[in-house]
Amino acid sequence: MPSRDQVELIQQEIDGANTPEQSAAVRSLLEQDPEARAIAAELRRVAGMFAHVAEREPPARLKRAILDALPQPARASPGRPLAWAAHTLKLVTTRLEDAIMTKKALLIGSAAAAVVIVVAGLITGFPPLGRDAGTIGGVEPAARYHGHVMTEADVSLKNPEIQALFQNDQILHLVQSDVFRQVMQNQAFRQIMASDAFRQIMASDAFRQLMAADAFRQVMASDAYRQLQANDAFRQLQASAAFRQLQAQDAFRQMQSSEAMRQLQANDAYRQLQANDAFRQVMASDAFRQVMANDAYRQIMANDAFRQVMANDAFRQLQANEAFRQLQASDAYRQIMASDALRQLQAADAFRSLAQSQALSQAFMREAMRSQM
Amino acid sequence: MDPSNLWRSELYFEETPLATDDQDRALVERCLAHHQDAAGALVDRYQQRLFNVALRMLGNVQDAEDVTQTVFFNVFHRLRTYDPKYRFFSWVYRMTVNESLNLLKRRKRTDPLEDDFDVPAPGAAADGAAEAEDRVGRALASLKPDDRAVVVLKHFVSFSYQEIAEVLEIPVQTVKSRLFTARERLRLALGEGVR
Repeated sequence: MPSRDQVELIQQEIDGANTPEQSAAVRSLLEQDPEARAIAAELRRVAGMFAHVAEREPPARLKRAILDALPQPARASPGRPLAWAAHTLKLVTTRLEDAIMTKKALLIGSAAAAVVIVVAGLITGFPPLGRDAGTIGGVEPAARYHGHVMTEADVSLKNPEIQALFQNDQILHLVQSDVFRQVMQNQAFRQIMASDAFRQIMASDAFRQLMAADAFRQVMASDAYRQLQANDAFRQLQASAAFRQLQAQDAFRQMQSSEAMRQLQANDAYRQLQANDAFRQVMASDAFRQVMANDAYRQIMANDAFRQVMANDAFRQLQANEAFRQLQASDAYRQIMASDALRQLQAADAFRSLAQSQALSQAFMREAMRSQM
Repeated sequence: MDPSNLWRSELYFEETPLATDDQDRALVERCLAHHQDAAGALVDRYQQRLFNVALRMLGNVQDAEDVTQTVFFNVFHRLRTYDPKYRFFSWVYRMTVNESLNLLKRRKRTDPLEDDFDVPAPGAAADGAAEAEDRVGRALASLKPDDRAVVVLKHFVSFSYQEIAEVLEIPVQTVKSRLFTARERLRLALGEGVR
């Protein structure tokens, strides 16, 4: 039986990595030892097995996807205005497909979902695990909140993060506003709070990591993102039946395989969406393009936590949830999303601490409710 | 000089690591100087190689595509921090292997029982190439990810031990040792018929 050193020498011989002396030693070994010859033959067979596997061509869309995601200065840009206009027009057109055909661009729909979760998580405190979660912030908020069992969260009202948030006039105004109250009384909102999917997302590590990511906060706080959220076409798109059907399609979710992609392309909802004016307007809007070109946005795309949240079944369920869609379409919700106060809240350092801690967010909510009384 | 020899010598020159490295460096400099075509040229140069490394590491086309895209994103994002003292290809291959290993870890965390290797459909197995790919995919899946990385760099990129060591930032002896372990496993697995 050849020793390990001898087998290693045989391997090196097959790899062409031996010195002439080592090669001579291997030849001598193979002449004398039939077992060594058998091993050498098997190792050659192993090496030969790899030789029969051809390199695969990457999907044709890969290069375009890579180049489209590049920071602006590295991307090729035609020099003449006319050429630039043609290039831009082409880019917008191709993005009509890209927006659906690459799962990364699902942010169009899903970041909106992420935002609502942030807001919901913030203004309710992370939803309690009890079955009465749906009553949080509901018709009788004060009574419910007084009825809560005292926890360490109550003690943490003196917490500097919470104090910092309440010292901000705009944030205080937000939590005392009618729209805030309306959202909290919104039936769809309460259904979401009570849903298993929502609780699973809020409890996931990936979600908390995402909330803590600087890039995520930058995207959410950016002007372009806010404009996109406030864009009528964007809202119409999110509310459109075709977009919703498409998001609910298995083929849309499982775009990993080319078969699913083919199904998607043959899908009626997909075709309708391509013809949808709102969709085209969103794709062509400056706000959309600015979000797509934003460095922080790109960082989020490459962020592990973001990918995990996007791949999370519960998150997808939430996106497909009718109540969630109703909430997104409600005026009060839209006002909150477009408000400066929300933007300041998301940009605040204190928000990060809040989003990371169930106790803190519950304490914040209690204080917000008291401030409304 | 015979024209065919000239062509051969140029071809050889183009494929030497030194020449490759010089070309990479030139492209990186042009990228940093915002030359329009340089980014596309770098992508052309590496996308297929990196995609194939990721594919053999992960066994799944979609994941390989994602990893390749992420690697290029990171490459261009960090291009200013790239130190030209080191070889560009080592840098990008290292990113690809590391990104693939990270994805494998995440996959294991989320679905430890999933065998996610993308083997050809049964109908395609009659074809010799598809069958070979199927066998190789299963064989690679049977290896530990660290060992798999060494095998992939050796057999699909044809790197030397030294180059593999450079890419993975491990000693040459560790490369040999991992290769030994992996091949022994593959040899035994193939002897039994990889299942």
